[in-house]
Amino acid sequence: MALTEQDAARALRTALSRGGEWAELFWERSNVVTLTLDDNKLEDAITGVDQGAGIRVTSGDRGVYANGNVNDGDDLLAIAGRAAAAIADDGGVREVTAISADELPRPSVVRIDPRTVPIERKVALMKVANERARAYDPRVHQVTILYRESVQDVVVANSDGRFRKDTRTRLVFGVQVTAKQGDVLESAYKAKAGTEGFEMLTEDAVRETTDIAARLAVQNVAADPAPAGTYTVVLSSEAGGTLIHESVGHGLEADLNLKGMSVYSGRLGQKVASELITVLDDGTDPGKRGTQAMDDEGTQTHRTVLIENGILKTYLSDKKHARKLGIPESGNGRRESFRHLPICRMTTTLIKPGTSDPKDILASVKDGIFVKGMGGGQVDVVSGNFAFEITECYRIRDGKQAEPLRGATLVGQGPKLMSEIDMVGSDLGYSVGTCGKDGQGAPVSDAQPTLRIPSVVVGGKVKQVSA
Amino acid sequence: MSEKLANEAVVDRAIASIGGLRVDAGEVYLRDGQSTSVEVRDGALENAITRGERGIGVRVLRGGHVGFAYSSDLSPDGIEDCVTAARDIASVTEPDADVSIATRKIDSPDLKLYEAGIDGRSVPERTNVALGVERAAKDVDPRISGFRKTTYSDGTLTTIVATTAGVRGTYRETYFSVGTSAVATAGEERQIGYFGDAKRQYAALDAAAIGKRSAELAIGKLGARPFKTQTLPIVLDPYMGMSLLGALVPLFSADAVIKGKSLFAGKIGSAVASDRVTIVDDARTPGALRSAPFDGEGVATTTRTLVEKGVLRGYLSSLKTAKKMDASPTGNARRGSYAMPSRIGAANFHLASGPSTPESLVNGLARSLRITSLLNLHTIDPISGEFSLGATGDYLEKGERQYPVQGITIAGNLTTLLSSITGVANDLTFGASGLGSPTFVISELSIGGA
Repeated sequence: MALTEQDAARALRTALSRGGEWAELFWERSNVVTLTLDDNKLEDAITGVDQGAGIRVTSGDRGVYANGNVNDGDDLLAIAGRAAAAIADDGGVREVTAISADELPRPSVVRIDPRTVPIERKVALMKVANERARAYDPRVHQVTILYRESVQDVVVANSDGRFRKDTRTRLVFGVQVTAKQGDVLESAYKAKAGTEGFEMLTEDAVRETTDIAARLAVQNVAADPAPAGTYTVVLSSEAGGTLIHESVGHGLEADLNLKGMSVYSGRLGQKVASELITVLDDGTDPGKRGTQAMDDEGTQTHRTVLIENGILKTYLSDKKHARKLGIPESGNGRRESFRHLPICRMTTTLIKPGTSDPKDILASVKDGIFVKGMGGGQVDVVSGNFAFEITECYRIRDGKQAEPLRGATLVGQGPKLMSEIDMVGSDLGYSVGTCGKDGQGAPVSDAQPTLRIPSVVVGGKVKQVSA
Repeated sequence: MSEKLANEAVVDRAIASIGGLRVDAGEVYLRDGQSTSVEVRDGALENAITRGERGIGVRVLRGGHVGFAYSSDLSPDGIEDCVTAARDIASVTEPDADVSIATRKIDSPDLKLYEAGIDGRSVPERTNVALGVERAAKDVDPRISGFRKTTYSDGTLTTIVATTAGVRGTYRETYFSVGTSAVATAGEERQIGYFGDAKRQYAALDAAAIGKRSAELAIGKLGARPFKTQTLPIVLDPYMGMSLLGALVPLFSADAVIKGKSLFAGKIGSAVASDRVTIVDDARTPGALRSAPFDGEGVATTTRTLVEKGVLRGYLSSLKTAKKMDASPTGNARRGSYAMPSRIGAANFHLASGPSTPESLVNGLARSLRITSLLNLHTIDPISGEFSLGATGDYLEKGERQYPVQGITIAGNLTTLLSSITGVANDLTFGASGLGSPTFVISELSIGGA
């Protein structure tokens, strides 16, 4: 079904028929294709349609959310009826403001809709990657290639009269390479991902992604483990932005701050980082994995300055927490699917480039660790303690990149680390990921310039001192 | 109003529809789930969420090619479209002669997975469970200042698997879960403690114990200090043990073994762990969270010892990997949802209890670190076995707690971890993930810190 303004208005009226102050409808249809090439074989081919809706009704601070699969108007009204029955607050029937559709500009351009590309073309690209990775080095032992396309059509309507649509076309091309040397196995994964059309997946882009994964797997299988202890670390812009996502981003989500659950709670206007640090969240950056025209409450996405020269400016908000905290709606109310209520989420989070030449930053460190790849991370926002995975790193000796080390984890405390960063490069590098919060995944991207951290804990192996 | 087919009728139609195509075989998996969640805040209900979902996943085999499609549109046309999509996409996969569907009849023994009466439970009743968790946490210590989130959920699931070879099985399940993250405050310092549990029966959920444990975890971290870089024996209680054991499951996957992505490849009959270690995958314990009569391919589940006193005895298999290894399928092709094909996974996977009490294990260690939380578990690489995790812990001397520590890492390899288990206690416990572990001791791990 295609959801019309009339369908939405009827559902919202039903939702508010037994009380409640405000109602919202989120409808989506996601078309997904997933292909897996493993062990030299196109092994899995999956296609499907996920279609459903969720209806939220609020009454004061209380909210109900009913959701389910929707194939026709009856399904939608049944969900609206469930929401109405659950809220029933004897508040009388509320009017629904006349629904009127408006169009938001689409920040990402999709030149080639992946659904129009023959599946054989997708498979051919996967084979290019598979063969290239296998030819990279005799130690390449296994290769897995993943292709995933998702086209999510979304409609958000609410009892204030909003009716907005968005289409998010997202692609992931992932390469996992396993290398073997003796009994040691190492794997490396690299993905090219964005909110873009199939034009994103050029053969060059596929080759570049493949080469990184293959090089890392082979490098790591022969490398010594990273050391354990406290070190000076230079984070290259090539490593992307997991650090800013974990150490700061989550702590600036408004829902956590309303509850006083973040180390950044109650600190608007205060210095929370070095003056060298300016942090942005930008849902409008064309083509980036976190980009979309609107969030999942129909609020237009923004480029939001979160921290400016070390001073905390605002939080990442959805409608509810913007109102409660008295801050602007930043367009960060996102949900994994119609099965979930929106929560405050990042889009593309970045540290703005500074003025130092990245070469000078590396040259300034006599002995330390040079991080050129970051993987997943996690933060405890209450204490600010975070950890993120290092997927590629080297020893720094006398200001130069020296021998590679096998990956490890870097841990620290957000505000402390952010106040200690003492050099910020003039470059900027992006990375992509899927962020998990409260059981919901969200496609995100992050970016950072090259940074110097004078002292931080690296979680590798303790060197055995022979007796 | 459009026609709404009942679950059994949906499966009948899909099987009939596969039969109408020129394909060799097919499999239909249906899942129908209804659930309710409540989230509380400041002593009152904040959100009540109801969810209803039903869909099918269809797998079609055609000359060794496999196609998979899913849909939540279960109208006659929707079912037909889904089956056709599965057939069409099969053409791009490369043929594999070892792919098959279940042909052996299955029974559905009553594994006590279902409890009647969820529908009659009111939202206030559910809210009270969550509020009870928070009250119990607050009763532990006046320094418990709030909660990041307290959520109660319950639900019912109906699963049907059918194949064109006449295999058909169905079962119903219920689950009840509640979890909270208590926050402890002392001056400027704040610490969090997460704990949650899940059960098949409502009455088995112990709200008071869950709240208490969450509060104790948070309070226990107050005053945490930095810790020196060193190696020490590591103590893992059942819950921390489970979180590391979960990372071992992929090593037992026959699919990973065949593809050379498991460190256990070629190790059947060899020692892969210390002789204190026995690991069991059990799908048949009545009422256990991951028990099931059959797996996502319609193959009967089993209970098996995977590691016996340190020696590797078996892998977890699907129909395809069993055929490739010339072995019997073990019923470990698990389904995450109707929208995902089967993937090899474990049932109630656990480290078997040892002989000692947890106290006697720990008291014998002059100096040790007991882990209280781990960050970044999702980054453990099951292929290399390498792990490096953020951690908090309690520093112990002869089992006596000295002080809490934070801002540290623990690192090692899963295979060396298994061979370094020097003690296993008798307190086997199963958690919300379905994994089980007793307290155990690792002789030595690298700790990164100051």
